[in-house]
Amino acid sequence: MFSQYFGHYLLNNGLITAHQLKHALDLQKITHVKFGVIAVDEGLLTSKQVEEIHEKQKQQDKRFGEIAVDLGFLTKEQVDLMLSSQKKKHLYLAQAVVDQNYMTIEEFTNALNEYKRIHSLSNEKFEAIKSGDIGAIVESLLHTNHPEKEGYAEYVSLFVKNIVRFIDDEVYVEASEEKNADAEWLVSQEIIGEKPLWSALAADEKVFLEIASVFAEEKLTEADELAQASVSEFLNLHNGIFLVNMSNKGTELEMKPQKVDHDSIVSVHKENSLCISINTSKGKFQLILSHSPENVIISDKRKENQTV
Amino acid sequence: MQKQLNVLICDDSALIRKKLKNILEVCKCHSIEEAEDGIVAIQKAKEMKPDLIFMDIVMPGKDGIKALEEIMNEDPALKVVMASSAGTQSHLKKALDLGAYDFIQKPITLEAVTAIIEKVIKGEKGENAHV
Repeated sequence: MFSQYFGHYLLNNGLITAHQLKHALDLQKITHVKFGVIAVDEGLLTSKQVEEIHEKQKQQDKRFGEIAVDLGFLTKEQVDLMLSSQKKKHLYLAQAVVDQNYMTIEEFTNALNEYKRIHSLSNEKFEAIKSGDIGAIVESLLHTNHPEKEGYAEYVSLFVKNIVRFIDDEVYVEASEEKNADAEWLVSQEIIGEKPLWSALAADEKVFLEIASVFAEEKLTEADELAQASVSEFLNLHNGIFLVNMSNKGTELEMKPQKVDHDSIVSVHKENSLCISINTSKGKFQLILSHSPENVIISDKRKENQTV
Repeated sequence: MQKQLNVLICDDSALIRKKLKNILEVCKCHSIEEAEDGIVAIQKAKEMKPDLIFMDIVMPGKDGIKALEEIMNEDPALKVVMASSAGTQSHLKKALDLGAYDFIQKPITLEAVTAIIEKVIKGEKGENAHV
């Protein structure tokens, strides 16, 4: 997950293009992470030392680790340790980007450090994010974009985990400033009790059908009762797990039945709501949350258009 | 020969009804009826006298807990298994206090349904909850 997240950070900061990001993300699935990238990431080697070893590798048939030991840059124990880290998923993107000459290792490392600085991350938190800790990633996203809305972090983290569990493991979340969502399909559910919460998933028909098909485990081509039931059940399942988590912490909540709206406009109260864009390989959709369900207005887009 | 069960599925979700029906067919249940809310479930329970009912909790109109209460008042011997994605201890306690046979956590799995059916066929008590 960190690859998706950091890849978009590089894109948003103009360090790579959209085409390069897509290519790198495709490649990282099959890329074997090389020693140099791991060594720099672990702080065991500088990028200059890595270049030196690469140059030596062109001259002699030896493995990276062997040359590093020969040159006195690393000990045998460090090389063994790195071998065990070679499966670290967060480095796949780095390897893909470097292999394609989109960035040098040094540029990638600088971008990582800048990312850490901008998000005011401790070493511990940064390691958690790099290892794909969804909770840490969501917390960092909300902290940077909506510090007043960190109360939503637990819900959003669980939602992202459930997207990974049930829908798609290539997920990337972004904060959204939109307060009015134009939803071709809107599935919502209200949680009532001590801490009320209105939650909704807004998607266009294509993405709606993709989510419905994956969750139903069969290809659905029409947004009929079964497709609507499928997306509704996903939201219900997620909210049910959220209720169990809250119950385990001593807060008892209840759910109302889910609701499906077609061609609607959702307006939420700015202060008490949060809109998150969820990007998956199936497409992009919105997660809309509000702690004040009474302020959520769902209007029929067709009627709105008639009055214009 | 193993006894074949008559089962009533009550869930507002067309997807859950379809999936559960498929599982029950694998389990060779004799007759499978469906209800999309608590009101229809109460009516069908009276008519078909099922051996087992799978009942969702969160439903529009009459929810599963209210339907369970009415069904138990009518026929306390009926075996009703509550199914919910929110398997909190309070939901579990409420359902069992009202006489539910068992409680299963969604998503519903073949293993959980099979275990319940075997228990019903053997005539075992349903105090073990799969939460």
